[in-house]
Amino acid sequence: MEALTRWTDRLIGLSAFVGTAGLLFVVGVILVDVIGRNFGRPLYGAQDMVTMTMVLIVFGGMALCDRLDGHIVVDIFEGSFPEWLNRVIDIASALLGAVIFALIAWAIWNSAQLSQMLNLSTNLLRLPLAWFQYAVVAFSGVTVLALLMRAGLLLAGAPRKSAEGAL
Amino acid sequence: QELRYANWAAPMHTITASQIEPLAEALEEGTGGAVTLRAFHGGELGAGPADQYVRVVQGTAEMGWGLPGYTSSQFPKSMIVELPGALELDQPAHEAMWRAFEGELASEFPMTEVLALWGSEPNVLMMRDREIRAPEDLRGLKIRVSGAAAAEAIEALGATPVQLPITQVYNGLQTGLIDGLVSGASVMSDFKLDEVVGTMSLGANLGRLSFFTVMNKAAYDGLPDEAKAALDTEMRAELSRRAEEAWKATADAGIDAARASDRTTVIDLSEDEIAAFDAALAPVTDAYIADVGGEAALAAMRGQ
Amino acid sequence: MSPVLAGTLGLVILLVLLLIRVPVAFAMFAVGFSGIWLLNGLPAAMGLLSSETFALASNAELIVVPLFILMGNVASVTGMSRKLYDAAYACIGQIRGGLASATVIGCGGFAALSGSSVASALTMGRTALAEMDRFNYSPRLSTGVVAAGGTLGILIPPSTGFVIYAILTQQSIGRLFMAGVLPGILLLTLFILTVMLLCWIWPEMGPKGPATTMAEKGRAFVGAIPILSVVLVTIGGIYGGIFSPTEAAGVGAALVILIGALGRSLTLASFWQAARSSIVTTASVMLILIAAHLINPFIALSHLPAEVSGMLVTLDLGLYGTLLVILAIYLVLGCFLEGLAMLVLTLPIFMPVILQLGIDPIWFGVLVVLTLEMGLISPPVGINVFIVKSVARNVPLSEIFRGVTPFWFAMLLCLLIIIAVPQIALWLPGMM
Ligand code: NA
Ligand code: NA
Repeated sequence: MEALTRWTDRLIGLSAFVGTAGLLFVVGVILVDVIGRNFGRPLYGAQDMVTMTMVLIVFGGMALCDRLDGHIVVDIFEGSFPEWLNRVIDIASALLGAVIFALIAWAIWNSAQLSQMLNLSTNLLRLPLAWFQYAVVAFSGVTVLALLMRAGLLLAGAPRKSAEGAL
Repeated sequence: QELRYANWAAPMHTITASQIEPLAEALEEGTGGAVTLRAFHGGELGAGPADQYVRVVQGTAEMGWGLPGYTSSQFPKSMIVELPGALELDQPAHEAMWRAFEGELASEFPMTEVLALWGSEPNVLMMRDREIRAPEDLRGLKIRVSGAAAAEAIEALGATPVQLPITQVYNGLQTGLIDGLVSGASVMSDFKLDEVVGTMSLGANLGRLSFFTVMNKAAYDGLPDEAKAALDTEMRAELSRRAEEAWKATADAGIDAARASDRTTVIDLSEDEIAAFDAALAPVTDAYIADVGGEAALAAMRGQ
Repeated sequence: MSPVLAGTLGLVILLVLLLIRVPVAFAMFAVGFSGIWLLNGLPAAMGLLSSETFALASNAELIVVPLFILMGNVASVTGMSRKLYDAAYACIGQIRGGLASATVIGCGGFAALSGSSVASALTMGRTALAEMDRFNYSPRLSTGVVAAGGTLGILIPPSTGFVIYAILTQQSIGRLFMAGVLPGILLLTLFILTVMLLCWIWPEMGPKGPATTMAEKGRAFVGAIPILSVVLVTIGGIYGGIFSPTEAAGVGAALVILIGALGRSLTLASFWQAARSSIVTTASVMLILIAAHLINPFIALSHLPAEVSGMLVTLDLGLYGTLLVILAIYLVLGCFLEGLAMLVLTLPIFMPVILQLGIDPIWFGVLVVLTLEMGLISPPVGINVFIVKSVARNVPLSEIFRGVTPFWFAMLLCLLIIIAVPQIALWLPGMM
């Protein structure tokens, strides 16, 4: 169990690293494009780079978001539920999330194969869509692991909320 | 049996009256009501036009229309019809595309049955305030384009191509983020650009957009024979022609309104001025044709 | 099961899932996906799941979400937003709730540079909440102000809401933008009056600060110059045509990073931490936006909007009756659906009714956008409230909903005023 947790945490850290690096890359791309354009030399395919990197940003942070308990909940009745019920809801929610991300991974895996068959790519730079769809599949897979780990830890009696300071 | 037609545009868009309604009628009459068509407008079956082909292949909808230009990598040869100078301005794109379809384009449409192919009105130059009469007038200006071929064409004319979502074009023209755009004149009314476009230059052959309507292959194969008969070659030609003519009518109304308006100056380029644009753009088209090995497709489109 | 029944049941289940504390995005995914599966088959559900997810995650305009979060995070770790609030506190801290009023004005300013409510709430939330907390403002007031103030993004031009309305109804974008100006200012004023009223009744919500001398005010102002110049460059760049509103987010982020690095207030470690925390917030916000795009097709497939408006046409309620019922429908739908996608589904149904009654479509556009703004903060699915929650982790969502309620009533008042006096919306476009 501990080894599993450690490896899952490493994968979560790795996907967050890709997402964070992607965000900084996008800032750079926009800056170079804006400056270049106003001197008549825009960055060729800037929009292709921005939109495809955005996929990495959005899904790269998904597993860490869950690890840090970052998914938004309506907590109006939390205080009036007994502790055991809150725990059951948390475990069920984590399992539901795992199913959802597994479905996302499966659906996008199918689309990625279709993208390869249809030779789909971005319009200017010809970046293959399938690369980024497989990235979503991988990141979603890590998120499934993170959610299963949450469910497992809660079942084993871990405290319900992760430390806020971790952010 | 009910077939689903995915339309990402609003229900009152040109596509509804010119294609979806006649298609529904043909199916209903041909099968005595056994096969009906239901349109899902406004992206009810998914918002993005870029995904339309995939949507039909995956069976989210049985039918849908889209633009090859949004996923041009899938349609290297079909995109030839969009190139500057590929067809004469008054030559219908739908006839050209169907002429080339069997021999050249069909392989770009796997797993679907192609029900319609058509083109838009010709592209024109729409500018914020500059009067464009020659390629030199464009030098250094920022022009919004929609695809790779258009970007190269704009560079060949000496301008700087800019990618910008169509919904941001209004603001972009207003603030001067872009000096103009290359597109069909229907955007003047469709995206309310008539308020911010100061001049239009007509007559140069800057190419056009193209469109397809496809049906899921398995769904087509499963249709009763009467329904297949209702979707025969003649019907496909008819659907294509009607759509292209409807597009042209919207564009002509936009140009007429621009001519009548004090706010917009419409420039009709002279033969000599047009020749200068043709000369500057011919290498772009030639390079593309050579790159994709599209000589035979172009010849078929031109009816040679 | 009839589609309408399925749609209604779906919304009820969504409500229950939300109330028992299933994460908002998961609840919307579950209901949207199963609803589409039920009404239109598994291939349609899988297709939509994949295409909507990827299309939203690669949407060229939504890139402002991570960029504005990054800008807010860096401004916060470098102390730039602290200095901004020090300046505001020195100037108007003596007034009860002064900082909250200043935040409303900040939201209005931010709205003028961004067309999106999400971006406004995120950026203002990231910079303003911790600062108001520092001056002992109650979280209920500060989060309420930011969630409500952020909605100004789609009323004050430029506004994505007006652009989409204009395209769908063939109205002039320019006239709609002009029509949004005075209602935007009116609403901003009502928000400030709400803050003053709240702080007059409960002074501890926004405690009074000490009096300051002119020299102290001047010093505080000088400290805020870096962040103020970022704001000026960003707004100037948009209106001067140097960059698009989307790119402005990237330029703004780059500028605060540059200033932080040059002023040595940003270390490599704190910079990386700020960026890493930005993608976590991005993930939680984007997941909700993606999930909302699965709820919309489900509701469309259930024919719920079409049925309701079909009933409306047969009721024959007269001009004001019809108008109020339509706005009420938007208000109710706005409790569940994401606003802009909702416009695409409903406007084609409502517009003929509106035009037939002789209602001015520009005026109606302002009323609709204002109603959509209310939907952004009304429970259970209040996107802006969720967004504020994503940057104010320690404040319970219930507290934010409570905090936003007075501002919701201010919006209702604004709506009624504009219904009673259409000239507020129509005077400026009439001058064009
Ligand atoms: Na705005
Ligand atoms: Na809402």
